[in-house]
Amino acid sequence: MEAQRPRMSEISILLLFAAAFGASALGGVLGMASGIFIVPILTLFFGLDIRIAIAASIVSVIACSCASAAPFLKAGLTNIRLAIVLETATAMGALTGVFFIGLIPESYLYGLFAVILAVSARQMLARRREKTITSEPDPRSWAALLRLHSDFPDKTPGRSLAYQVGHVPLGLILMYGAGLLSALLGIGSGVLKIPAMDAALRLPIKVSSATSNFMIGVTASASAVAYFISGDIDVDIAAPVALGSVLGAFAGARLLLRIPAERLRLFFVLVLSLLAIQMLMSSVGIELPGGLS
Amino acid sequence: MKNNADIRQRRDRMIAGLLRWGTWFASMLIAMGMLIGVAGYWDDAPGYGKQVAVAGIAVFILLPVMRVGLMLVMFLRERDYAYAVISSSVLAIILASSLIGLWWN
Repeated sequence: MEAQRPRMSEISILLLFAAAFGASALGGVLGMASGIFIVPILTLFFGLDIRIAIAASIVSVIACSCASAAPFLKAGLTNIRLAIVLETATAMGALTGVFFIGLIPESYLYGLFAVILAVSARQMLARRREKTITSEPDPRSWAALLRLHSDFPDKTPGRSLAYQVGHVPLGLILMYGAGLLSALLGIGSGVLKIPAMDAALRLPIKVSSATSNFMIGVTASASAVAYFISGDIDVDIAAPVALGSVLGAFAGARLLLRIPAERLRLFFVLVLSLLAIQMLMSSVGIELPGGLS
Repeated sequence: MKNNADIRQRRDRMIAGLLRWGTWFASMLIAMGMLIGVAGYWDDAPGYGKQVAVAGIAVFILLPVMRVGLMLVMFLRERDYAYAVISSSVLAIILASSLIGLWWN
């Protein structure tokens, strides 16, 4: 039926756009990347192949990182030196990921995704605590040698709060893992970045959010170039998802003050847990009945 | 002589500008591509919208790479060679990844 094709296609483009917009806007309210929702949405509800979903998701991860970086930079919260140091590790992780992804069976990808969703749900339930360093800086630590200690603007204008950067080698190891997961699953890897930033590097939360958001663009690019060149990125899927994510990220930043974050946090824990179960079922071959396409 | 805070603010603003305009440019390309693509079902322009959208996606993917390139230039101009080497190694890793992409192809 020649006449029906455009309508179907328009509807699926609109649905993809709306799904990405919603995931990104809600994710933005809690300061989390939407990437972790995109792949389950595309595979479970749109019935897409997980590899196509991963490639489309990685583009939206880059788009969101670029779209939300400017305000953080202007506020003086992003530590760009620390970002580029850690990017050597995340990019290496991503390189490892693109090297091995072709060898990994799809059921393993679903299974790994289920684990990451479950750990994310658990992480979201726990509160993040700031563990900044207050002792005298050690002049022979990596952070001192790389001149990573910095400061960020205080609430009172014109004043700034100095902070120290903690255990850089441990941070690099965790970031390597984050880059690997990002390339394999098409996500921003908050799961590993949050412990790396909080527990190993001991950054103030504002600096941590700004810097990890800044970094993920490069991390995701390191795998996206390979996906793009090899032709794995399906533009019909990736285009509406990327555009929806960017606009959703802007909307989420505006919504930030209007939605009670506590209730949303519990809602997300629930959604992440349900998606984890669904992805686990997909990994053992049980399909969700009635996919949209 | 400018102080360090001024240099840092200027640097942060330049990077912010690149990412903001790049995001706009890429988003516009993708939106235009999608619109042309939808219109293309009635018109006789198959594939043209798709190419525009692909260009937008390519701009998004290259934007963080350009950001690292910009940082490399900045570090070189500040004669901060340690960080110039660190930035170059990130670019080298991304180049290696694109070679893997070619090899798959």
